[in-house]
Amino acid sequence: MKLAGLKSVENAHDESVWAATWVPATDTRGALLLTGSLDETVKLWRSDELVPERTNTGHCLGVASLAAHPSGLIAASASLDSFVRVFDVDTNATIATLEAPPSEVWQLRFNPQGSTLAVAGGGSASIKLWDTATWDLVATLPIPRPEGPKPSDKSGSKKFVLSVAWSPDGKRLACGSMDGTISIFDVARGKFLHHLEGHFMPVRSLVYSPIEPRLLFSASDDTRVHMYDAEGKSLVGVMSGHASWVLSVDVSPDGAAIATGSSDTTVRLWDLSMRAAVQTMSNHTDLVWGVAFRPPGGSGVRAGRLASVSDDKSISLYDYS
Amino acid sequence: MACLYIPVQNSEEEVRVALDQLPRDAADILDILKAEQAPLDLWLIIAREYFKQGKVEQFRQILEEGSGPEIDEYYSDVRYERIAILNALGAYYSYLGKIETKQREKEEHFILATQYYNKASRIDMHEPSTWVGKGQLLLAKGDVEQASAAFKIVLDGDRDNVPALLGQACVEFNRGRYSESLELYKRALQVHPDCPAAVRLGIGLCRYKLGQFDKARQAFERVLQLDPENVEALVALAIMDLHTNEAAGIRTGMLKMQRAFEIYPYFAMALNYLANHFFFTGQHFLVEQLTETALAVTNHGPTKSHSYYNLARSYHSKGDYEKAGLYYMASAKEINSPYEFIFPYYGLGQVQLKLRDFRSAQLNFEKVLEVYPDNCETLKALGHIYVQLGQTEKGQEFMRKATKIDPRDSQAFLELGELLISSDSGAALDAFKTARGLLKKGGQEVPIELLNNVGVLHFERGEFELAEQTFKEGLGDGIWLAFIEGRENFQEIAASESIHQYKDVQFFQQLQDSGRQVKLPWNKVTTLFNLARLQEQLHNPETASILYRLILFKYPDYEDAYLRLAAIAKARNNVQLSIELVVHDALKVNDKCPNALSMLGELELKNDDWVKAKETFRAASDATDGKDSYATLSLGNWNYFAAIRNEKRNPKLEATHLEKAKELYTRVLLQHPANLYAANGAGVVLAEKGHFDVSKDIFAQVQEAASGNIFVQMPDVWINLAHVYFAQGNFALAVKMYQNCLRKFYYNTDSQILLYLARTHYEAEQWQDCKKTLLRAIHLAPSNYTLRFDAGVTMQKFSASTLQKEKKTADEVRSTIAELENAVRLFSHLSAASNLHFHGFDEKKIDTHVEYCKNVLDAAKPHLEAAMREEQQIRQRQEVARQVALAEEARRKAEEHRKFQLERRKQEDELKRVRLQEEHFQRIKEQWKSSTPASKRRERSEIDDEEGGNSEKRRRKGGKRRKKDKSSKSRYETEEVEAEMMDDQEDPEDEDANLSYRDLASQNDQDDAEENAHDPLAAAGLEDSDAEDEAVPSTNTGRRKQAWSESDDDEPPERQPFSRENSPELQESDEEVREDGHKPNGNAAAEDED
Repeated sequence: MKLAGLKSVENAHDESVWAATWVPATDTRGALLLTGSLDETVKLWRSDELVPERTNTGHCLGVASLAAHPSGLIAASASLDSFVRVFDVDTNATIATLEAPPSEVWQLRFNPQGSTLAVAGGGSASIKLWDTATWDLVATLPIPRPEGPKPSDKSGSKKFVLSVAWSPDGKRLACGSMDGTISIFDVARGKFLHHLEGHFMPVRSLVYSPIEPRLLFSASDDTRVHMYDAEGKSLVGVMSGHASWVLSVDVSPDGAAIATGSSDTTVRLWDLSMRAAVQTMSNHTDLVWGVAFRPPGGSGVRAGRLASVSDDKSISLYDYS
Repeated sequence: MACLYIPVQNSEEEVRVALDQLPRDAADILDILKAEQAPLDLWLIIAREYFKQGKVEQFRQILEEGSGPEIDEYYSDVRYERIAILNALGAYYSYLGKIETKQREKEEHFILATQYYNKASRIDMHEPSTWVGKGQLLLAKGDVEQASAAFKIVLDGDRDNVPALLGQACVEFNRGRYSESLELYKRALQVHPDCPAAVRLGIGLCRYKLGQFDKARQAFERVLQLDPENVEALVALAIMDLHTNEAAGIRTGMLKMQRAFEIYPYFAMALNYLANHFFFTGQHFLVEQLTETALAVTNHGPTKSHSYYNLARSYHSKGDYEKAGLYYMASAKEINSPYEFIFPYYGLGQVQLKLRDFRSAQLNFEKVLEVYPDNCETLKALGHIYVQLGQTEKGQEFMRKATKIDPRDSQAFLELGELLISSDSGAALDAFKTARGLLKKGGQEVPIELLNNVGVLHFERGEFELAEQTFKEGLGDGIWLAFIEGRENFQEIAASESIHQYKDVQFFQQLQDSGRQVKLPWNKVTTLFNLARLQEQLHNPETASILYRLILFKYPDYEDAYLRLAAIAKARNNVQLSIELVVHDALKVNDKCPNALSMLGELELKNDDWVKAKETFRAASDATDGKDSYATLSLGNWNYFAAIRNEKRNPKLEATHLEKAKELYTRVLLQHPANLYAANGAGVVLAEKGHFDVSKDIFAQVQEAASGNIFVQMPDVWINLAHVYFAQGNFALAVKMYQNCLRKFYYNTDSQILLYLARTHYEAEQWQDCKKTLLRAIHLAPSNYTLRFDAGVTMQKFSASTLQKEKKTADEVRSTIAELENAVRLFSHLSAASNLHFHGFDEKKIDTHVEYCKNVLDAAKPHLEAAMREEQQIRQRQEVARQVALAEEARRKAEEHRKFQLERRKQEDELKRVRLQEEHFQRIKEQWKSSTPASKRRERSEIDDEEGGNSEKRRRKGGKRRKKDKSSKSRYETEEVEAEMMDDQEDPEDEDANLSYRDLASQNDQDDAEENAHDPLAAAGLEDSDAEDEAVPSTNTGRRKQAWSESDDDEPPERQPFSRENSPELQESDEEVREDGHKPNGNAAAEDED
């Protein structure tokens, strides 16, 4: 289990790169890397050489989050102005522009079936679900607020929703908030199930294990990655070692490792059987906002790939084996 | 059987006297002697016989009768016998005088002896035996020179006179001329080979003194052969045995000493040696008895000194330092110079050191050092004393000398290291390492304390791996290894219980129940604690936590471990657990623990519990009688915050609080002039008062001092410095300073500093930088809506300033429009969000703002269209002009030049038109402003009553608030107070305290951002509830808004003509907007200037 640097692109964007995701391979092309930046553009990168494929413009105030549809045909990008732009990956044609004021937009995720786009709604303390066929807002899953006499006091902002993750079967949705709590929803019934506690600082990234449907990983500003049994409500493991906020977490397609990106400028690879960091990559010189494993599939791409993006405007690609 | 025959007078008969049957009453014999007029030599023989039998009285009686005047008369011609009798008496009294301890009787005896000898001399002044006797007497009196003269007289007459030879030998011995003495003894032995054992004793002593130990031993042994009861020889042999320093030698030596004691229990030297022995075997009772006896039986100075020394030592080792000191002094008094016997001075020094009488101890040790300039122990002791006296450098010098003299003395290196810890950690580390190397080379076990210190020093120098290795080496094998290496899985806990995870020690109980040994020797606790601290530093808080809990499982009173656990919880933002740990655990161990109280205060502040926090800080301060700098500084900070909090409400209160804060900082500085945090605090107060130059100096010094120690993390001073640069208008430096601080201390994650940075860009009119910075901040702190508001304001400002530019392209106008749209979007989001109470903004205010922006935008849109049209035209004309120019160029250059000028003129026309359009836009804006409903205005002015004052006043306030903005950060740093106070004591435990303390500081650092953000809210929280809704937004945003508005005051004059066109009524509306504090755009401010 190791990472080997393949390619780095300095100044991939004009400004900090804030988001990265892989667009799965289609019949006609291989997987693409999608990156979003404060420079208000989304860029597409092809092959291990990270050849720039295209630059999408049209966002204002910085692209904060990206999501790719499992089909690999469409993708969504969201910016700080709270617009979500859904576009055709290959043509860059805008398919839909989504907004649900006053809800902001933070992390986006398509469900594994591709039927729904979940959007972390920031200060609205809810997740918005959009139908990918009609692009209608189909549901709002609110996080129950703690009972309090003054709803306007500062606890209000603490349920600010930052991150979302779908379970592999698409039945569960997890969301992480500013105050560190993670909420689990039953999607089919649109019902809040329970909280997972343990973090007390913002949870900026969440991901379910692809092989163990109950296993959820969370990355928090408290420098730790937690490993939860999301159904049993138990904290299974704590992985600490980053010197600063953990901004992003992704799990490898084989489910054996996770990668994290942190504001300590490092990317770490964690062996889940040992629950310990086995490798630390220091390619970047500033906050690492995103790490993403390339999904399997496509022609001749059995090899694992991990991409990382950073405030230092660069993107890096690693071989994962 | 020896018999004596006394001839009967005038007959041939004799009286037969059996010498072993002498009558008890000497008078019987005397009668016979007198009656028979027996020859005087018989008298002497009988007297001597009595003496031999120990019947001293009878001896004296006979001799005194035999020296009476009658005898003188009767035997007047028997000179030799008379002299012999007198000499015998003289010798007897000399002896009495010699052994007598009471001074008066002693002298009386000596006087008698002198009288007898003088009488003998009168009979025959050339009689050698008289001279020998006199010599002995003088020797006994200690008059060595005269004794020598007496013996010389004899020897001049007869160089083989044995008694004189012996006497002279004794003289020479006393003079320290041992070889001469030896020669004399030898001669005596040659002359008189059968002489008593004592002669050989003399030879032995001389040889001993000459260092010929083997020959000395032979001599002593010969003495013992001749006289097995000879105590001196026994003692001498015993001493020689003891000095072999081998176990066997010491044993036989002690046996001999014991025998000597049994033969003659009053031999002072033997007593001293025995006492010495029993001192080492720890039988202090015997020591006292023996030395007291020895003191009673001797007058000999050095021997007495030795006895006193033994006694003192005994008390010393028993811990009775007062008595020991007295006896050491008595011992020292018995000797003439320290060169004779230095030990009592050393002992005295030690005792005085113990009693903390450093000056006297220093004098005594210096005496020792005079005699033994290279004595390591003394050098070390002196080094220690100098340190205690505050002369650290001299102390180190001595310690260094000690290590130089004996580079294999690990102890010296150890002490040197401890001395250096506080001043030069690098040198200290070297010393410790040398000590460790020496101990290892010597095959000795390296004490864990040493390894702990080495580890801590590595730790402090940031050499974490070495530190970890060292700590692990010190700890050795144990249960902790399993935790450090992560072999033991201690993380399976239900998520709901994870909150209590940090308090849980059940886990160890389970381990123990399952048969594992959970052991933690007491001497390893400190090192384990340090290792845990190191794990924290290495970002393994989980490991650290389990180690702390292991300590607490075994030693539930270890406060620092609770505090560290609390700090870990605090770092995770788990304030509740943190408070619980402090209150329920740490304070339960010691409810006066200032560290725990200070920490609790911090936590209460974090919880916005201002009143409580103040009480807690005060309690912490009281617990240490105000000597605890941390508590004092915390109070100072509290006052500073209070000053800022209250500023708007009550300027008088602000001044009081500020004054109080200054006083507290100053107090700490008086106690600890090197306290960085106090200096920083003082700098902040000065900056608050506008003394930027002074405060800048202070901050710069603090910043310099704070670099280089991983435990002193003072990002705040960087921020303060940046604030000062900012306040002085040095924006470029301020930006650099903020950026460095962000990178160096916060991994670029602190949104508050980004905000400062943005504000600096704003002030420097770098709108895009400002916007980008704010967007970054939003990305880092998504729930901080203030940042969004600020971003909106920036975009507005950018648009406005672009539109005000005299020259601008349609692209610029377009981007301006785009920015305005973004601003509207941001504001309307804020407005919509306010319905949901996401943030504390007042709904109406936001609405006003949104409406305003929308209006601007509406006004701008047609303007944009116009601008675009204009641009289109310009571009067409430019195209034409370009072609014309090209054509002309083809023809003539001069022609081209003229054309070019023409073209330029045209361009200017275009621009003029554009500007006209801008003005049009402006007017529309103003119109909108004036259309703001008056009712709203009134309502608002009611609320913000005091704010409604004249603009002059407002400007002043604005300036003030700017400072506050600036220092609102700085105060936080002052909060991290701590450090210094606990500065480095040699004790490893203290080191720990330091560790924990320092960490508290860094915790604070982390919290700064959040606390700052909440601070205004906190302030609001203390105000009465009905005012709260209003207060929250006003404090929260007002600060920043004020900042914006202030910058407007400084608007460059060239823009003024532009705004001068506005009608007076428009001003009013501007005023209104400003009252809201929403500072819509730069124009309004510029108008205010009019």
